Amino acid sequence: MRKKLSELAFGETGVVTEILASGRELNCMGLRKGKGLKMVTKQPIKGPVVVLIGEVEIAMGIRMAEQVTVETG
Amino acid sequence: MNEPIDTGTTVLMVGNPNVGKSALFNRLTGANAVVSNYPGTTVDYTEGTLIEAHRTCTIIDVPGTYSLTPRDAAEEVAVRLLGEYPGAVVLLVLDATRIERGLYLALEVIERGVPCIIALNMTDAAHDKHISVDAAEMERVLGIPVIETTAISGEGVKQLAGMIRNAKAADISAISGRLNGDGAAEEMVALRSGCSGCGVCGR
Repeated sequence: MRKKLSELAFGETGVVTEILASGRELNCMGLRKGKGLKMVTKQPIKGPVVVLIGEVEIAMGIRMAEQVTVETG
Repeated sequence: MNEPIDTGTTVLMVGNPNVGKSALFNRLTGANAVVSNYPGTTVDYTEGTLIEAHRTCTIIDVPGTYSLTPRDAAEEVAVRLLGEYPGAVVLLVLDATRIERGLYLALEVIERGVPCIIALNMTDAAHDKHISVDAAEMERVLGIPVIETTAISGEGVKQLAGMIRNAKAADISAISGRLNGDGAAEEMVALRSGCSGCGVCGR
């Protein structure tokens, strides 16, 4: 199933299928199309999102997480 | 005793934030380190002198950056320094535990055609995390010297200092050729001795 990265539940995993905007910024952190990731933290009130890619945790704003599409399941 | 000869070489230490550039810088320069303010910004860079085999060169500890498309003031300084020292050797510092994002920046720098050398830092932390990085294979694919270091213990630092003069520019299309198993590129590499990476260590 496809959903926004920001919609992943805690501990849920997915594969990045599309980065809608400012992909460059995420690319240099190691978040690219085809990469598997796992949701680590989501904060309430539009707080930041932290995902785990391999051994590396990447934090981003909720707006950016909304622009990343992932395939789950 | 004779004064060491100034080679006039400038070495820029480039890498992601928090990979141990400054720790490595302090190891390489020892007590000669001086701090200077970069005009116009609040971000500092540090400059020091490395004396190796009776020759000196200037080392600049560049602020950490994730890419050559700056996103903040510190990254702007990093990119500007690269532009200001077009003839400088770039010492790419990579964190062995987060190698991928380091390689992203490394390839961006290599693409500029400047002479490079890679310090694969934090090998102790990588070992603890059971991450192994094949430095010899990296050297072969990238075509530039790769030295494993642990800045906090000083391991590999002396070897790195000795290899700085062997830094070399790599061709990005040759790298992708080697990655895709391109026969012509392989052959070209095979002409060189040893591991065929940089051709300087005689391995």
